[in-house]
Amino acid sequence: MNQEDYIIELQDVNTIYEGEKTPAIYNINLYVQHGEFISVIGPNGAGKTTLLETINGILPYTSGYGSIFGKEIKKYKIEIRKDIGYIIQNFDIDPLSPFLCKDIVMTGRAGKIGLFRFASKNDWKAVWHSLGLVGMIDFAQRPIGKLSGGEFQKILFARALVQEPQLLLLDEPFSNLDLSARQNIEKILTKIYHKRKITILMVSHELRSIPKECSRIIVLDKGKIIMDGDREEILSSEIVHSLFHNGGCCHD
Amino acid sequence: MAVVVMIDIAIGLLIAPVLGATLAGFVCSTMGVFVVRMNLASIGYCMSHAAFAGAAFGVMMSIDPLISAIVFSFGTALVLGPLAEKARLESNVIIGFLFSVMIALAFIFLNLIPGQAASATALRILWGSVFAVKTNDIMLLSVLSIILVLFIAIFYKELISIMFNRKLAESVGINAKLFYFAVLFFTGFAVSLSLRLVGGLLVFALIVNPTSSAYQFFYDFKKIMIFSPIIGVISCLIGLWLSLVTDFPIGASIVIISALIFAISIVISPKRKKGICR
Repeated sequence: MNQEDYIIELQDVNTIYEGEKTPAIYNINLYVQHGEFISVIGPNGAGKTTLLETINGILPYTSGYGSIFGKEIKKYKIEIRKDIGYIIQNFDIDPLSPFLCKDIVMTGRAGKIGLFRFASKNDWKAVWHSLGLVGMIDFAQRPIGKLSGGEFQKILFARALVQEPQLLLLDEPFSNLDLSARQNIEKILTKIYHKRKITILMVSHELRSIPKECSRIIVLDKGKIIMDGDREEILSSEIVHSLFHNGGCCHD
Repeated sequence: MAVVVMIDIAIGLLIAPVLGATLAGFVCSTMGVFVVRMNLASIGYCMSHAAFAGAAFGVMMSIDPLISAIVFSFGTALVLGPLAEKARLESNVIIGFLFSVMIALAFIFLNLIPGQAASATALRILWGSVFAVKTNDIMLLSVLSIILVLFIAIFYKELISIMFNRKLAESVGINAKLFYFAVLFFTGFAVSLSLRLVGGLLVFALIVNPTSSAYQFFYDFKKIMIFSPIIGVISCLIGLWLSLVTDFPIGASIVIISALIFAISIVISPKRKKGICR
């Protein structure tokens, strides 16, 4: 396979936080093709969020080589981020936040529209389309702080989708959600995956929140990829069972 | 005839304070929208004391205290952002640090100023004065107002994105750091230029109060962006009138009016009534 065919390519990547000596992730070798749906699992502190932030360039890697869409992360981080949808973990929202849902969805498109340009009719069309995809059109004019956890998560999904991303990075998108909200979001995720054929990398610390569409699982532990393979192969492995309590949450 | 001339003179004398109050209210409460959202309300008094230290320095060196006040405020604005980033501390901690340094510098400069009259000039910058506003201040405030309107209109989508969440803004390719520094820089500018009128001790109230009042009414950032400066300008104009009528210090009058508006806003806020969302 040619290098250009990889959506994500990480070679011997190490990421060390400023002021620390031990890398948060190290010797990371990861190759992801277009259209793959991958789950990254591992205990708390395994480096899952660090991996996502290294991929979208928010956190600069200390050594190794990384490229997204065939472009070196360090050199083109601002450019590549325009095509990466990102949902961050445990987002607490102030109930009095002065923002309407439609405006928050539009913020996902800010990078794509570019500096010195205004949102066009087409950009707003994309906002309404994304809100429709997640079933939140009726919430467009609502204040963001007034939403429930599940509704808020759907708005964050719409925000990521309005970018029309090639790659979607999801950091524990089901955390803090009740069962029905979780199933609802999972349905949306499945719909988006089939409809848009995008590449998805989803971080999770629970085996039960791995969607059916996910075909490949990566296991991270203490900053290192300890397993990378087919869903069935990984889920039946002894190592994964020892890391997780009966398919539930992962322990350290 | 003499009465007409006197009225003309009075109106002439009033034009500068009215324009100054309107523009100071506009620039301070416009920047307030960002400052309050970024949890940097204490930046106001840090900047104003930096300006005071600058004014004391100016008097000591026999240069225009406003120029040195602007330089010190700018310096603080420029140092604050990178220092908070470098030290990996909350901006409010760095603001507290810079605040104490500026107070210390101001005391040293005041101590070095020969004669009480000169010290009084520096101190006047802390209180503010209706008739201290000069044509130059109005020109600069007008230029800053135009720059702010353009800055917000052109970069509205970037600013709203950063105000919602800095990390998410960065994740779509926005240079959040640059806009954060720009907000600090313009706040420094707004505070420095409002000093002569409102006074250093109270200028931060003009940054915080109108925005806090606007927050009581709306959930829409755009509406807060429009109404905060309107409330700021109204506070300044009523404050100016109160000062002229009662001979109260102008800064104090403006703060009392803006605080009253804030108190009334809290009482009548639709956000506290059930079933209303704006």
